[in-house]
Amino acid sequence: MHGSRAAQFQLYKLYAKAMYNVALRILNYEEEAEDVLQEAFLDAFTRIVDFRQETTFGLWLKQIVINKSINYLRKRKVEFVSTDEVSEIPDEISADEYDVRLQADEIRQAITELPDGYRVVLSLYLLEGYDHEEISHILKISENTSRTQYMRAKKKLKSILEQKGMRDE
Amino acid sequence: MNNRLETFVKENRKDFDVFEPSAALWAKIESGLDSNKKKKPINLYLWISAAASIVIVFGLVWLYTGQMQNRDLEIADVNAAAAKRENQFTSLITEKRDSLAIFASANPDLYKKFTDDLLKLDEDYERLKSELPTTPNQLYVVKAMVKNREIQLNLLKQQLLIINQVDDYKRVNQI
Repeated sequence: MHGSRAAQFQLYKLYAKAMYNVALRILNYEEEAEDVLQEAFLDAFTRIVDFRQETTFGLWLKQIVINKSINYLRKRKVEFVSTDEVSEIPDEISADEYDVRLQADEIRQAITELPDGYRVVLSLYLLEGYDHEEISHILKISENTSRTQYMRAKKKLKSILEQKGMRDE
Repeated sequence: MNNRLETFVKENRKDFDVFEPSAALWAKIESGLDSNKKKKPINLYLWISAAASIVIVFGLVWLYTGQMQNRDLEIADVNAAAAKRENQFTSLITEKRDSLAIFASANPDLYKKFTDDLLKLDEDYERLKSELPTTPNQLYVVKAMVKNREIQLNLLKQQLLIINQVDDYKRVNQI
């Protein structure tokens, strides 16, 4: 059993940081992110017999982390479906015209200022690399909602960055 | 420059994972793994023993009620009037059998034939009685049991008559 404990620690060292950031981006709270991380690793280690080699351990673990984070968010009563989703057609071009010089730290900070629904969709698409179909499964929303939510999140992110840029200068 | 943001994030992905979980987290996970390991076998053991005891209790109850049914279901449980008649017949049957037994030593062959016939009827009666708890129509079986007793009684009456006549005949012949 000792050997497997060492192996578990290796896996933890390998994935803890990345998974912690995944959870933190979704939840925005350090304590909750740590709780999610703890539960996710415990789950993964106890259910490792269920893990089939169809994906990598990292992707499997990431799925567990994301699902648990979403559950935490749902406990906070976050709604992922916007009420006026059909009426507004997102303006893609304006969302991508960034006048400010992009900087990772600033974007990261700006993401934390997004509303919960926007932040989750944007994180999953932009940073975790899921496509809208996958996001629709994760959040149990329609693919179209995922798309519009992402476009709006980008727009909002841009306006936050612009405001900051003005303040900084 | 349509996807400037996406491209930028892709190229600088590492810069977005900047936070570290607290150093104490692994210890928490480790202790969670330890308690998981200890808990599971106990839980399994508990579940198995609980399931086993339920099975045993049900088994005992089933056996007990089964025996109760076999032992305790009498004619009186089905039909009181039939039981009364059956009782009368049985006491008369014992009476007649005793009378018949008196002639036994004098006419052993005849007595044996008679008791064989009665034995057959008795067997039928026991068979009916064993069927009683499980039969779909208990009243029907009870009636058959009473009828069986009645036949036994009538048979005994006839046997007594015959044996009496035989005895008389023998005695007259002796004189």
